[in-house]
Amino acid sequence: MSGPRAAVARRTLADSRTRTISFALLFAALSAANAVGYRKTYPTVADRLRFVHAFGDNKSVRLFYGVPHDLLTVGGYVAWRAGGTLSIFAAVWAMLAAVRAMRTEEDAGRQELVLSGIIGRGGAFVASLAAIAVGAAVLWFATFVGLVAARLPAGGSAYLALAVVAVVPVFVGVGALASQLAPNRRIALELGSGAVAAAFLLRVVADTSSLTALRWATPLGWIEELRAFAGPRPQVLLLPLAASAILLGVALAIALRRDVGRGLLQARDDAKPRFGLLGSPTAQALRTERGSLLAWLLGTGAFAFVLGVIANSVSSAGLSKHVQQELAKLGAQAIATPSGYLGFTFLFFVLAISLFCCSQIAAARREESDQQLETLLALPVGRRSWLGGRLLLAAGAAAALALTAGLLAWAGAASQGAPVSAPAMLEAGANCLPTALLFLGIGALAFATVPRASVGIAYGLTSLAFVWELFAGLVGAPEWSLALSPFHHIGLIPAEPFRPTAAIVMLAIAAGTSAAALWAFGRRDLTGA
Amino acid sequence: MTAIRTEGLSKRYGETLALDTLQLEVQPGEVYGYLGPNGSGKTTTIRLLLGLHRPSAGRGFLFGIDAWHDPVEAHRRVAYVAGEPFLWPSLTSTETFAYLANLHGSTDTAYRDELVERFQLDVSKKVRALSKGNRQKVQLVAAFATRADLLLLDEPSSGLDPLMEVAFRQTVLEAKERGQTVFLSSHILSEVEALCDRVGILRKGKLVDEGTLAELRHLGAQTVEITFAGAPPELALPGVHVAQAGANALRCEVTGSIGPLIDALAHHEVVALSSREPSLEEIFLHHYDGSDGRVGA
Repeated sequence: MSGPRAAVARRTLADSRTRTISFALLFAALSAANAVGYRKTYPTVADRLRFVHAFGDNKSVRLFYGVPHDLLTVGGYVAWRAGGTLSIFAAVWAMLAAVRAMRTEEDAGRQELVLSGIIGRGGAFVASLAAIAVGAAVLWFATFVGLVAARLPAGGSAYLALAVVAVVPVFVGVGALASQLAPNRRIALELGSGAVAAAFLLRVVADTSSLTALRWATPLGWIEELRAFAGPRPQVLLLPLAASAILLGVALAIALRRDVGRGLLQARDDAKPRFGLLGSPTAQALRTERGSLLAWLLGTGAFAFVLGVIANSVSSAGLSKHVQQELAKLGAQAIATPSGYLGFTFLFFVLAISLFCCSQIAAARREESDQQLETLLALPVGRRSWLGGRLLLAAGAAAALALTAGLLAWAGAASQGAPVSAPAMLEAGANCLPTALLFLGIGALAFATVPRASVGIAYGLTSLAFVWELFAGLVGAPEWSLALSPFHHIGLIPAEPFRPTAAIVMLAIAAGTSAAALWAFGRRDLTGA
Repeated sequence: MTAIRTEGLSKRYGETLALDTLQLEVQPGEVYGYLGPNGSGKTTTIRLLLGLHRPSAGRGFLFGIDAWHDPVEAHRRVAYVAGEPFLWPSLTSTETFAYLANLHGSTDTAYRDELVERFQLDVSKKVRALSKGNRQKVQLVAAFATRADLLLLDEPSSGLDPLMEVAFRQTVLEAKERGQTVFLSSHILSEVEALCDRVGILRKGKLVDEGTLAELRHLGAQTVEITFAGAPPELALPGVHVAQAGANALRCEVTGSIGPLIDALAHHEVVALSSREPSLEEIFLHHYDGSDGRVGA
């Protein structure tokens, strides 16, 4: 590739470098940490057999990591544990990269400038793909290096790393297609995120219920069927190849035909005026985001219901005392009962609602970088009341999400006759809030002090804290460092009691950072993109 | 009370001094033209006045209120038209007017309807479907319809076609008749010349000249073009810059009195003579090109 195409590809690559490098570091670290940790915690085959007994069939663990194929070797363990998580991250990375390259640029009006040059739509499409392919190669290499550094064989490591990034072309296809369909960037991201969530939900159902055939219906399941370090089946790679070829082919066909700046699902540009929710900036923010909020509510509710349904099939029958101790080693003592399982899965909802809070910080930041805030604040609208209103809106929406999760998890569990009470599950839902509000407060403080970096800081800290909680114990990190993650302090209701001290501390930090944010935001310049 | 007053207002962005100890006073009812090329500090001045950016030194007041310290009070009597018409893409123009009116607290709906008519806006269209010029019109209509005492306009006619430019000028003159104050940042000299009572010229963050158009002209040189019957003579006079302007013609730029030049011409056969005051463009260019005090490029 040369000339204009190379120029577009280089620009796309430079544009995404921070995110790609962050993901690459995470991929390398998780790959190495899992291998080192397993070898250290379970040095002998006897240890590993016990581990298999404890975990081979445990449904809560499968929720995050997928289904294991061989837990007696370090490679097999890493393929299950790191492969299962990293393939989700890879899917998210791919979807974000595609929408960024194919829709964000267009919405900003820059794509018109590019296409007015000596490059066609097809050329620009291919150039974006080439740049994303380079990013995917970086992720592959980071994973490979992490595995080899942990003394896994090079051949198997290369194959596992390939399995991890095999979802990338599929979700690049999803992102590319969403970019063609959606009328704007936000809706493209919502469509893409919905696809990632659906793929994850399918994998959860396939791995934790008797519907194992569903695994073939989700790209995240194909990755499991590649069976790295457990009797590899490279022919399965044909599935992601075929799927991405179809998705990208359709996306390219639409890209060649549609009007630049408009999606296939273009909404009408004329409308009768509706004057609801225009009374204040907070009301107007709710008006703008009501579609996203509804999607979050539906997604959260659906997930919670499915997990509730699965919960009843979890049982602790026949678990020996020793196995219980093994479970304790991973900080998941009570996960072999329905309520234990539900408690553990709510860790997932804490993460999801925390990420929702990050998305609210991102929305506030976008209102500023798109200069709408400048128009607002030139009116008799105070900075503190604007930011305070946005934070209250975010907190209120987070509370709605948390209670929805609790209520529908209960509904799902109750539909199967599981012995879980509605108040307990609502409590489990409400228990998501202190952590989520903590990240909202930290994100707000970042927004008020370092606006351009704030969105990355909010998402980065939340993800890092979660990954740390999942993996730090395994690599034998000292106790004080485990305690750094807010996720470490959550009482997993209904299995564990509510931890009031932790909740109060987190809420206090949330209030403190929010107050500091309101103060600091009143003292800085408005900052463009 | 002055509509706008600044005391040594300065702003530094990192290494760049964007505004350097600005002293400015705009009286109520005045139309003040704020001239300067791209990047000279016009938008920075407005953002500081509105309290959107924090002054590095000095203060700015809108009707005596420092907008950095009390933005809500300061903005009650102000309407602002931003340099770039970024609005809310999913709202229609009508919804945008309603939203901005709700936030401002008051708006003259009858006048707004008149302005919508005058600017030929299709108010049922969503902002995302509007061209830049049309989005600019939405901003202008919303701002003028507030009947605010002070209008801060940042390059308001950018993107307007000539017909809309006429409508814009009419609207500014109406505001002036009503006693509203207009602060018009611009680099369109004809517009400033047509509308403004007083003009300030900004160069690299410094106010280099200020006054009524008559005052600015007085300070500048006037241009005298002389056509002679034969070859033009050698003229060497203090304060007069001479240039050849054709075979038998000279163009003289005269600073100060024109008397010595007329005296000198008495000894020569002059066929035609014309004299004119410097245009705003010449004054403006003078501040950017001339370092020797000479008018013109």
